[in-house]
Amino acid sequence: MNREEILSKVRTAFISVLEHENFQLSNETTANDVDGWESITHMMIITEVEKAFSIKFKLMDLMNMNNVGDLINSIESELQA
Amino acid sequence: MEFVKKLQESIEKHSDHNVLCINGAFHTYKEFALEISKIRAAVVNAVEDSEKLIGLVTNDDLQTYAGIVALWLEGKAYVPVNPDVPFERNAKVFELTETKYVIDSSESTDYNNYKVIASKGLVDAEINLVLKEFSGDQLAYILFTSGTTGLPKGVPITFDNVQALVGAIDAEPTFDLVPSDRCLQMFELTFDFSVVTYLFPLLAGSCMYTIPKGAIKYFYIFKLINEEKLTVLTMVPSIINYLRPYFGEINAPDVRYCSFGGGALHDEIAKEWSDCLPNCKIFNYYGPTEFTVYSGFYPYHKETDTKSHNGIIAIGTPQKDTLYLVVNENNEEVAIGETGELCLGGPQITPGYWKNEERNAQSFFTRKENDKNIRYYKTGDLCLKDEEGDFLYVGRADFQVKIRGYRVELAEIEFHAKSRSDKKVNMVALDITNSLGNAELGLAIESEEFDTEYIFDHMKKMMPSYMIPMHVRFIKEFPHSINGKIDRKELKKHFNIS
Repeated sequence: MNREEILSKVRTAFISVLEHENFQLSNETTANDVDGWESITHMMIITEVEKAFSIKFKLMDLMNMNNVGDLINSIESELQA
Repeated sequence: MEFVKKLQESIEKHSDHNVLCINGAFHTYKEFALEISKIRAAVVNAVEDSEKLIGLVTNDDLQTYAGIVALWLEGKAYVPVNPDVPFERNAKVFELTETKYVIDSSESTDYNNYKVIASKGLVDAEINLVLKEFSGDQLAYILFTSGTTGLPKGVPITFDNVQALVGAIDAEPTFDLVPSDRCLQMFELTFDFSVVTYLFPLLAGSCMYTIPKGAIKYFYIFKLINEEKLTVLTMVPSIINYLRPYFGEINAPDVRYCSFGGGALHDEIAKEWSDCLPNCKIFNYYGPTEFTVYSGFYPYHKETDTKSHNGIIAIGTPQKDTLYLVVNENNEEVAIGETGELCLGGPQITPGYWKNEERNAQSFFTRKENDKNIRYYKTGDLCLKDEEGDFLYVGRADFQVKIRGYRVELAEIEFHAKSRSDKKVNMVALDITNSLGNAELGLAIESEEFDTEYIFDHMKKMMPSYMIPMHVRFIKEFPHSINGKIDRKELKKHFNIS
């Protein structure tokens, strides 16, 4: 799966949690850029992403995840693991 | 005022210790003393003595904490407002309290209609932490919680109230902070739980670690535990509910104390969490804002002290000088083992809701005990007392719910949603439990589907973000119970969010 395909699946997870589509996701996107993306919804998004890719993130990775780019990097490395 | 004097002594004594770690930057008690003195000088200079209630914009910085101490040294109260909450709501708070002066450390202030003390970049002042003489019935702070009529409800707390809290915690030998402790301060300063997470570390000369705004709270807390080796955690149970999938990766031997409060602590997760903290004492605290944060606790231990009711850990016994009373609807004490509403009496009780006689008549009553009149606060929490004298939490008596530790009146959400809606249809706010066991808000609308964006825009203007429903469902006809009331239990089934 390439980064674009991952991003598209990630976007679906965001929409399902945030219940709206008014956002764009790029590597640099952070919680400040997306309406409704905060601590609580972040946890739900993470769960949703884990389900969508059948992966389980490590707490150490989640701890240092600061933007969508970091998220995609973690997904990539989990998919390769 | 004894505890303010102790604050002064602790700040002076620990001048070379760190007081706060904010976003990775450490500040010493000496810097803190200087900021306090600068703000204090500005307050003395600008504010007349008779003006006792001072607004405080709760930024995550040294100046905001210094502002609290500066006001206390002058015998004044802080009225905190969260800069992330809609301005309209904060302005309402200042209107209700007739606040004219606001301490604001923001780069640019939203409070131009008030007399602003810009606490960042004040001129240097000589360090002066000597407190003024003032009487203990003066207010130390006023906090606002969700109210049923769309207006937030003010809870004033006096210096005597805070002194009684400090006295009760000091009397508890199993909880004793030391200057080397590193303490989590995860609470917004408009939330009453914050009082214990800044006051006790300050009194002990310990260091507090805050959560930067915009950080993902749950992971940031873990990062602090992991990298900064925190020793004292004070949290709402929803934090560990969200961290639960990752417990297997958490081992924090440095944590000495972990205190919970502000929501039901479930026994299964308490045990699992306890396994992550091998050297830790766990306290399950209970207490409403109206009773100065804590009124008592249950000392949980995964092997020896696991008392619970319907899976919720016991709230234990009242602390020093506090009285618990479980009553029926006529405010008469019920028998041991019977469920009733928990009422609290003692020196930590608020003088009463701010300018709200109607509410005060409902929520407080006086009872004669041993020839003394004891004033009680009715918590709205259903509890029972067991044979051993421990109190067990059963549930809420009304439509108040806890969202991430914050008290929310469902009626306030319904009020704002309905008042803006062009369609005059029935709307019901509900607390729904997600798969991790946390409460989230849903809004059920009795109608065909329509665009609710403008209603949500309005709600976001009127209420803090934790009060905005995260799920909306349109239901053509609401289910009703036999006695004609909307069946909330049935309605909740429409929200399949797990």
